[in-house]
Amino acid sequence: MTEEALRKALAAAGYLADDALATALWLAGELGRPLLVEGDAGVGKTSLALALARARGLELVRLQCHEGLELAQAAYEWNYGRQLLAIRLGEAGGSALREADLFAREYLLERPLLRAISGDAPAVLLIDELDRADEAFEAYLLELLADWQVSVPELGTIRARHVPQVVLTSNGTRELSDALRRRCLYHWLEHPSLAREVAIVEATLPGVRAALVAQAVEVVHRLRREDLARKPGVAETLDWVRALHGLGVESLAEDPRTLAAAQACLLKTREDRFQFDAARLRSLTEGRSIGVAEHARGA
Amino acid sequence: MPGAPEPVDPLERIARFAAVLRDHGFTVGIAEQRAFVQAALALPVERSARIGAAWRAIACHDARDWKRWPELFERHWFPHRATGRSTLGGQVRPSRDLRRLVSDLHERLGPPTGPRGEAPPPDTAADDAVVAADDPGAERAQGGASRTDPLHDRSLSQWLPQELARLAQLVERIARALRRRLSRRWRDAPNARRLDLRRTLRASLRTGGEPVHPAWRTRRRTPPRLFVLVDVSRSMETHAQFFLRVARAFVGAIGARVFVFHTRLAEVTPLLRGDSAAVQEKVAAVTAGFGGGTRIATSLADFRTVHARAQLGRDARVWILSDGFDADPARELAEQLRRLRGRGARIAWLHPGANPPASEAMAWVRAAHVLEGMHRLDRLADLDRLGSSILN
Repeated sequence: MTEEALRKALAAAGYLADDALATALWLAGELGRPLLVEGDAGVGKTSLALALARARGLELVRLQCHEGLELAQAAYEWNYGRQLLAIRLGEAGGSALREADLFAREYLLERPLLRAISGDAPAVLLIDELDRADEAFEAYLLELLADWQVSVPELGTIRARHVPQVVLTSNGTRELSDALRRRCLYHWLEHPSLAREVAIVEATLPGVRAALVAQAVEVVHRLRREDLARKPGVAETLDWVRALHGLGVESLAEDPRTLAAAQACLLKTREDRFQFDAARLRSLTEGRSIGVAEHARGA
Repeated sequence: MPGAPEPVDPLERIARFAAVLRDHGFTVGIAEQRAFVQAALALPVERSARIGAAWRAIACHDARDWKRWPELFERHWFPHRATGRSTLGGQVRPSRDLRRLVSDLHERLGPPTGPRGEAPPPDTAADDAVVAADDPGAERAQGGASRTDPLHDRSLSQWLPQELARLAQLVERIARALRRRLSRRWRDAPNARRLDLRRTLRASLRTGGEPVHPAWRTRRRTPPRLFVLVDVSRSMETHAQFFLRVARAFVGAIGARVFVFHTRLAEVTPLLRGDSAAVQEKVAAVTAGFGGGTRIATSLADFRTVHARAQLGRDARVWILSDGFDADPARELAEQLRRLRGRGARIAWLHPGANPPASEAMAWVRAAHVLEGMHRLDRLADLDRLGSSILN
């Protein structure tokens, strides 16, 4: 698959990637390297992996990272319940069980990392928000990403049957190690341009009037230029447009319900709410009289 | 490398580009150079315009690299766009034509032998080119005398051993105090000593009531986030060396992130991690192209929105080591500090003079009440006092 074909397949799967992102993703597949995607929250890092799986017709295996994430949750775990049951059955039936019988593959519970490399078909492995996991887990991940294998002390080394296409995402709340970064290809995902975001919203919500979409996306772009604690992402834009459509809003400037919906969908911290009171938000939504460039200068 | 003739060998051209990237602080080693070649071979010649995007994904490892890439790439491969086509001895210099490069590579090395990047890297020629580029004796842009001017008057290696030991001791004391953050929250820790009875009992249900799977926990410790911003402008040149030495000690002690600034801001943490006497020269090389003047407010804006974007919270401490002379509009510095403080970061200003900075910008800063404190830092004794005052 060429990078152009991949871009089209992603578009068919509902993800409009620009050329640079499509090239990075394609190259990651060609070189068999993980792709580390960083960017602000809500720019579409996670949905990139979801769309990649759909575009390539592969299973998506997702590992959501969090503080204290352990090997047992990420790679594998022994099925103690079944092992105990086997012991009890063995005792009742009078048959002797060896330790090796209990630590066999059938008693191993596959968690996302192991599942991604041991499936019958290649998969897309999404390791989401890696910066939330501890450094120790990151170090463990190095072995998997370098050698495509998982070591189980009681069983041996399980090698990948298929090398998965790996997408790692990070929000940058912690610096990832240089070793991990060097094993990955890298892409910094920006908020989409105005035209691209309009296209994304139109593709996702085909029933909404084009004029309303254009107005709403323009307001979100103006809002992103402000000094917000949390800038609204594409997901927030979609929520807002969906809300406006649901409320039957025809035009942003004329309908007071626009403001309530905007506050609920776009401003998600107390400081941002405080900064953008109803009056300021109204001037932003009525931005046509101010003009984007003028507004930027004023800010 | 202006002035040097452009090599004909495509692998050497790639190696030369990699050397340029390294000189600008990119981590581009042999693995990355091989990936450059593999990417060029994987791309069809007619799609060679995409090689820039492909190499960017390989060479960049963080947001900082990502933002610097377009300028470096353009300047190296399309110098005529900025400066016009240059000539060498009356002849047009051999073009840095990317399409030609990709096509030369295809001709020379043929199609990749397998999918998923398992093609063996090109043998002798590629390796030679890579090795040549890694040769420390190879031509480099950094290290020239003119670049080391701003910080050159005293060397880091001139410190006496007892001074270094004292510095390490003081920094460790401050680092310990920074680490001491009590939290009522607990976290799972397989090697901890405190039994999590509730989770152990819960887990035992899966194993017929037998606690096969004990759960352990320990107190959650939030690592301190210390950002040290060092002013390396002309007016600070006699103090910057001391500041950098202190900053470097904090990098070792608690993994602080260190930035230098005068007209622009650059992170130098990786340079400070190594134990090299040439740190000062490297830092000077990083800041060589910054030009004259000090733009503290602009640098702070860059720091807040790009470099420390997602790491500024209540745990963050920002220490600004500067004399406070700012070429930006006077009120801008206070405004940028207010925004930084608005993220929750605790800011301290450390100045080298006996008295706090008296510039107009600093008057606005004082009026804004955004600083946790202003402290003198000019010698080790000041660091001792700082330890007591800044952490109370």
